[in-house]
Amino acid sequence: MTDESARTGRFAPGAHVRTYLHDPPHHTRLPRYARGKRGVVVEPEGPAPLADVRAQGRDDAPVEMIYAVRFTARDLWGEGDHHVVLDLSESYLKEAE
Amino acid sequence: MSGTDTHDDAVISRQVRRLESLLEEKGIVGGDTVDEVIDGFLAGASPVNGAKVTARAWTDPAYRERLLADGTAAVGELGFSSGGVQKQRLRVVENTAGTHNIIVCTLCSCYPLRLLGPSPGWYKSEAYRSRVVRDPRGVLADFGVTLPESVDITVWDSSAETRYMVLPRRPAGTDDLSEEELAGLVTRNGLIGTAVL
Amino acid sequence: MARINDVGGMTGFGVIDTTDDAEPFHADWEARVFALQRALLVKKIFNLDEFRDAVETMPPQEYLAASYYERWFHAIRTLLERKGVIGEGALDDD
Repeated sequence: MTDESARTGRFAPGAHVRTYLHDPPHHTRLPRYARGKRGVVVEPEGPAPLADVRAQGRDDAPVEMIYAVRFTARDLWGEGDHHVVLDLSESYLKEAE
Repeated sequence: MSGTDTHDDAVISRQVRRLESLLEEKGIVGGDTVDEVIDGFLAGASPVNGAKVTARAWTDPAYRERLLADGTAAVGELGFSSGGVQKQRLRVVENTAGTHNIIVCTLCSCYPLRLLGPSPGWYKSEAYRSRVVRDPRGVLADFGVTLPESVDITVWDSSAETRYMVLPRRPAGTDDLSEEELAGLVTRNGLIGTAVL
Repeated sequence: MARINDVGGMTGFGVIDTTDDAEPFHADWEARVFALQRALLVKKIFNLDEFRDAVETMPPQEYLAASYYERWFHAIRTLLERKGVIGEGALDDD
């Protein structure tokens, strides 16, 4: 990722995204309850080094935009009327199909 | 959280002292650093800070706008830092007649220490962290809070370097109170979202 | 694979003890562990993500049996040993 795209980010507020079904053997900041789920971007929060890589003590962690992403309880749990917002790195997200 | 018995306390406090001596010998952490960090933390982190921010937002509409748009900058205006050894951003989320916000960190225990003070034991517990994202109304009931069905609840699960603070609703019948008196009404749980003022 | 810290949505942890716990530290060593963590982060001996990783990789039984600052101490010790800052077992009683 270039510095420019880390600053502006790939997803705009309101973008429909889906989290990856990401189950890595290492540290990650995508909780398992929110893997493979669809959500809506609330806002970009600013760039940060990817925790998955930085947790390995490496200095070369890619800098990625973090997004606040809003999920419905129904999408996360199959029921419920509340919402949950998570702060997620760009590489945890893809455009929703 | 599980308890620690006296025996474990003695063992671990010996080990911690040993670690401090080793780090001092190696010149990594100086002898006074630990006490300075503790004193600095206890002096600088308090829910009184969050209460002051809240009272200002209740009494100054332009400040409220700035606080909701850029929490980090707005608390900076009052002399507060959003804190963190690594750079942190503060996001303030506002409760209204139709929306209620609650803060959690399900993966660890991220918390806006500077504005809310040391976090309560329950905030760090598995019982709270596991349940509030799944059943926030049930968790609120445990805290004695019942919200109308029509209120939309949002749970903010801090999973990066943003820290969240709830801007509670101003209680009714407080029009005559000064900013300082209003700050006195604000509780830590109100700023986490597990209380309604 | 999911780690023991990743508890969102799990059941079985019992009722929330909503008692107001205003005391940040329950023993002097807890405060010292808290301060050591910050000092070591500032000195860049490890970063916050490495620290979280070291807490999360505690064996689940130990993680659940440990108090909050016992987990922190475990993580600090694990990282310092791994990085060769202190020797293995250097903190144990003789």
